[in-house]
Amino acid sequence: MNNMSPEVALHRISPELRPLLCSVVRNGRVGLDSTNCLRVTDLKTGCTSLTPGPCCDRFKLHIPYAGETLKWDIIFNARYPELPPDFIFGEDAEFLPEPSELPHLVQWDAGNSECLLQLVKELIQQYHHYQCQRLRESSRLLFEYDSLLEDPNYGRNMEIYAGRKNSWTGEFSARFLLKLPVDFSNIPIYLLKDTTLDPGEDVALLSVSFEDAEATQVFPKLYLSPSIEHALGGSSALHIPAFPSGGCLIDYVPQVCQLLTNKVQYVIQGYHKRREYIAAFLSHFGTGVVEYDAEGFTKLTLLLMWKDFCFLVHVDLPLYFPRDQPTLTFQSVYHFTNSGQLYSQVQKTYPYSPRWDGNEMAKRAKAYFKSFIPQFQEGAFANGKL
Amino acid sequence: MAASISGYTFSSVCYHSANSNSDHEGFLLGDVRQEETVSISDTQISSAELLQVVEIHNHDPCAQLFSFYDYAGKVNEENLNSILKDRRKNVIGWYRFRRNTQQQMSFREQVIHKQLTQLLGVPDLIFLLFSFISTANSSTHALEYVLFRPNRRYNQRITLSIPNLGNTSQQEYKVSSVPNTSVNYAKVIKEHGAEFFDKDGVMKDIRTIYQVYSALQDKVQAVCGEVEQSERVKEKIQEDVNKLKQQIALRKRKTAEEERRLREAQNTDSHSTPEENTEPSESSLLSRIAFHSPSAPQRPSTSPNPPSYADLLSQDDSLLSSSSSPTSAALLPRPQAVGSPGHPTPGPLGMDLGLGLGLGLSLGASSNPVSTPSTPYLGNGDGSSSDSLDRQAAGQEDDEDDDEDDDDEDEDSSEYENLVSETTHLPVVSGSVLAQGRPAALSPDGDARGSQTT
Repeated sequence: MNNMSPEVALHRISPELRPLLCSVVRNGRVGLDSTNCLRVTDLKTGCTSLTPGPCCDRFKLHIPYAGETLKWDIIFNARYPELPPDFIFGEDAEFLPEPSELPHLVQWDAGNSECLLQLVKELIQQYHHYQCQRLRESSRLLFEYDSLLEDPNYGRNMEIYAGRKNSWTGEFSARFLLKLPVDFSNIPIYLLKDTTLDPGEDVALLSVSFEDAEATQVFPKLYLSPSIEHALGGSSALHIPAFPSGGCLIDYVPQVCQLLTNKVQYVIQGYHKRREYIAAFLSHFGTGVVEYDAEGFTKLTLLLMWKDFCFLVHVDLPLYFPRDQPTLTFQSVYHFTNSGQLYSQVQKTYPYSPRWDGNEMAKRAKAYFKSFIPQFQEGAFANGKL
Repeated sequence: MAASISGYTFSSVCYHSANSNSDHEGFLLGDVRQEETVSISDTQISSAELLQVVEIHNHDPCAQLFSFYDYAGKVNEENLNSILKDRRKNVIGWYRFRRNTQQQMSFREQVIHKQLTQLLGVPDLIFLLFSFISTANSSTHALEYVLFRPNRRYNQRITLSIPNLGNTSQQEYKVSSVPNTSVNYAKVIKEHGAEFFDKDGVMKDIRTIYQVYSALQDKVQAVCGEVEQSERVKEKIQEDVNKLKQQIALRKRKTAEEERRLREAQNTDSHSTPEENTEPSESSLLSRIAFHSPSAPQRPSTSPNPPSYADLLSQDDSLLSSSSSPTSAALLPRPQAVGSPGHPTPGPLGMDLGLGLGLGLSLGASSNPVSTPSTPYLGNGDGSSSDSLDRQAAGQEDDEDDDEDDDDEDEDSSEYENLVSETTHLPVVSGSVLAQGRPAALSPDGDARGSQTT
């Protein structure tokens, strides 16, 4: 019953209700964290047990919200598919939205396949309001909320989950999930294509957990959609500064935002720089170029000859080029190592400066090759076998 | 708060629910009452406990969903009235049945519940949630039910008890207090009720029994009165007996003194007269007295056929009439024992000393115990020796103090009987001799009494 694939769920649900569920599981993204679709589990039926299937009409919907997963029961009646559903809001026993605030419930139209999804979105909105109400228990956190609300950058893209960890005795805690207004649109597409998952919307979410009402224990965490995370260099991109004690969100969040923006900028810049670099090498080495990465401009291979000694040079451009130096790998075309590989030597330190432009780098590289090759040749002859 | 639902109502709700192909809902009818329990224990004076008891008598299923509310969950009062009609005032809650869902109130149910609370004016409206859970292979089905009172903030769930269902160790079959609203039942009872009930609505049998009970009570009261009276009479007679005994003792003492004086006089008169002279006279006296012992052939009054008591009485009468000086103590009436046929009260018995030895008969066989205290006598009833006689005379009080507990009238009266008969048969002897005339009197059951009993 758990981790049911959407197709299975669609197969088991009563035919009349299938369109409604379809839009939920296929297209359903609510809230800020839209990397995960809404999940459906625990499909059950409200008909008598002898009714032939498929006749399921009630299920549990998993909705990601503010770092939590809400598990709401949605109850239809297969025999009366035109009727609107009923909801059980799981552990949030006190959440009772005003029906008048749910237009898609009041004017439920079973023929509209989007109706359920829209209704769920409206409910989430109401839930958000409900959570914000609960923030009233802590004036400190309420202040945080209000201050963020005023800022148009963040106010509209906020999800709050507040309450007691343990219903009666637990410490009051709250989690703020904020969507960072960082522009990822200029990130080169190649960077985003490497992910195996459906990338979805590129989003950066900052989750700040307040473990107590006085904001003495604050744990921020950055979430990036997988493509962005990959584009920015993997999990290292998730490092953010710690929350300053006594600080507040309205100061901290822009900080993080800026950091992320800088990173993105850097990545974008890096891409362009790499492109420039490769272009320069192409023009300098011309026919010596064996191959190069024409999309991401991360690799370049040259076949050069010096005094009848042919060798390959592989250039690996790091992500944060030009800050980070490219790696040069010299490879002999004649000699093998004991393990059957071509004899090679890696050079990471050589004269280099990030301030040079592409042309300059190409020229300097050429000069370096000339100076290094005798060494390499000797090494190849000495250590490699033909 | 406690809640109960009758078994048939519960099964009816289950039936309607289980046979519906979708969710099902309806209203619960019944009443709510408050029970106050006052408990008194050693540790505290009293503590009162208030318990609200909800009883579900009936249910009113709704034909379809959304019959009295709309999509937004707004309750339509007109529809509500058309469903409930005149049962509206009996509504104490509502119920819902849904399969395979959690035991928790849903969003719409809460919305509706709030409105129903207001519309029906029941502050503590209850909500009964039925949930039917089936296993995946339909091998096991569970019907779960939870009773909520959602208008309270805490303790929202109440246990619902179904009388006579569940605990089979209980022997008694509980009767619920659900009122019988059946029209047919009322009609039949009205028709045939007159045979069993009187005009006040009380069962006739009860009245009859009560009458018997009252009659018995009256009789018991009357008997009490009689017992009281007879007890008083008995007391009086007892007093008389005591008085007479005292007089007897007094007389004995006097006669003993006289005798002593006589003896002393005799002794001083004739020194030579041996003591034995007096002895025979004494012994002869004694022998006369000891008529029970076989060695007392001189018992004057022994006869093979003791006369009946009635003869004695008549003889007494004649004797009394002949006697010259009845003492005051002789003029005591003879009382009757309770429950016994009456005896004619004889004339006052002669308290003359001549009567003393007249009852030398064993009248133990007589079954008419009558206390006749009139005859003075000396000596104990069993014909013991003069020692005992002296003892008797001297230590009368002691003997009387040593009376046994089972002293009863019978023995006394038998002694007195003997006394009476003695007076008839013994010849009138000299007063001095007759002073010791109390013969050995057998108690009715033949026991020889060691002392004169009272």
